Amino acid sequence: MTITGEIRSSKRRSGPPRLKITSLEVLCGILVLALLFQSRLVDLLDVPKLRTASTVFVAICVQAMPFLVLGVLISGAIAAFVPAAALRRLLPSRTSLAVPVAGVAGVALPGCECASVPVARRLMQQGVAPAVALTFLLAAPAVNPIVLVSTAVAFNDTPMMVVARFAGSLLTAMVMGWLWVRFGKAEWIAERALARLEDRSGGSRWAVFAESARHDLVDAGGFLVLGGLFAAAFKTFVPVAWMQTLSGQIVLGVLVMALLAVVLALCSEADAFVAVAFSALPLLPRLVFLVVGPAVDVKLIALQAGAFGKSFAFRFAPATFVVAILCAVVTGVVLL
Amino acid sequence: MRRETQNILLILLGGALLKISFSGLYLRYVQKGLLPLLIAAGAIMIGLALFAIVRDIRRGQAVDDGHGHGHAHSSRSTWLMLLPVMAVFLISPPALGGDVVNSAADTNQTQRSRNLLGELPSGDVIPLSMTEFVTRTAWDESGTLDGRRVRLTGFLLRAEGDTFVARLAISCCAADARPLKVRLTGDVPALPDEQWVEVTGQVVPKSASEKNSWVPSFTVESFTPVAEPVEPYES
Repeated sequence: MTITGEIRSSKRRSGPPRLKITSLEVLCGILVLALLFQSRLVDLLDVPKLRTASTVFVAICVQAMPFLVLGVLISGAIAAFVPAAALRRLLPSRTSLAVPVAGVAGVALPGCECASVPVARRLMQQGVAPAVALTFLLAAPAVNPIVLVSTAVAFNDTPMMVVARFAGSLLTAMVMGWLWVRFGKAEWIAERALARLEDRSGGSRWAVFAESARHDLVDAGGFLVLGGLFAAAFKTFVPVAWMQTLSGQIVLGVLVMALLAVVLALCSEADAFVAVAFSALPLLPRLVFLVVGPAVDVKLIALQAGAFGKSFAFRFAPATFVVAILCAVVTGVVLL
Repeated sequence: MRRETQNILLILLGGALLKISFSGLYLRYVQKGLLPLLIAAGAIMIGLALFAIVRDIRRGQAVDDGHGHGHAHSSRSTWLMLLPVMAVFLISPPALGGDVVNSAADTNQTQRSRNLLGELPSGDVIPLSMTEFVTRTAWDESGTLDGRRVRLTGFLLRAEGDTFVARLAISCCAADARPLKVRLTGDVPALPDEQWVEVTGQVVPKSASEKNSWVPSFTVESFTPVAEPVEPYES
């Protein structure tokens, strides 16, 4: 420890030399320990359930990372190349009118839910009203063409499912936007999420782009991993089979499928294939599964808590859960 | 967390993505089509970190990136990015197997739509995917499979006195795996569970029904143990 401390302090050009353990030393320590105890670690995980959980965990992280990277690149691009004034000109000045525009604009972000969180936060930082950014956040993962096409492929016996999913998700996003206009309080959102970007003179636009993207990635990456941990644990240790036997009744079925959507945290591009497999169920609970999943799940709650703060996430997620179920049921009853 | 540490974490995570991409291990976790995205994501992560490092070196010290007040909060969660890195480099979790099939309730849920039941290819032994085999046994009432010799690839699994050959199909990542299984009769391989095999034989006509959750029976004529395929899942 003393030695590393000395090396560190001699490297540092400014500041008084002192022995201090920083995150860099901690990181090195963890890596060395992990290497030393690698075989012990592997043995420890050699239980079928834990093996399954670790595979699912890695799978969720690996699958989501490209979309998170896409999200932070878009977010960085907005920060660097789209002036706040341009965004204001693009959107209707009345927030309640801008909400549906933002919902439909979600069609343009071809990714799953991990991509939309950093983009929504950046929109807020650029002065877009929170209600509008949140509508975009909820709509984008569910109404984009890739998700709709994969839903159509999965449910090609029942094409109305695609229409119902589109309508239900868009409705959920817009209702949440309007609810925020009416009841939302800015202080629920952590101050750091809304802090305007400082004008960084000196750096080129590309530097702003890269720095913003890097910052968002570091910020959100940990929360994505946290969400992956929860989802893997639920997927492995919650008796899904037992839950499905409960879902014979329509009301119970809707609730069970909504809860499953939250805990399984499936990618919105894949959830239709899972929903189609619950073939014992009527279409309505399966539609609820498809509408709730992209709007609220454990991975998304973790990302939102990271981006907007805990006090936001603990209000927004339950509200979205209820609204999504209601919107899905309404569209399901009308369309299916 | 210090900026330097964040950069190292980003490089490690990007490196982990590139490692599973180039070694082919990514097929244990996600479907084939994600490969270009994985490589791009890994390269971009490393690129963003290198850009920051080069910039810091030019300036002579780590600069605060203008969000100073946000760091105290976000620093703790960023540590979690080490978990997937260590999982990939140290543990390298295996492809999902029997544990998932045994605990699943949605075994052999195929769609009528999938099959568009075409003619089977001619030939003495027809290699079929488990998905196609199970779909045909469940939905094809004309019995195109009856009397045909078929070869299936999967891993062995024993439950309630029966031996099955099983496989998982994924559409996006391993979290959405759908199990498929076929009950073996006849020359049942006396090999350990989870051993991958190629079994050749014939379907027992009309053996898949709603009562047995559409698990068809298959009379094994011959089998060969094989290594786990590079692509462990069907899609």
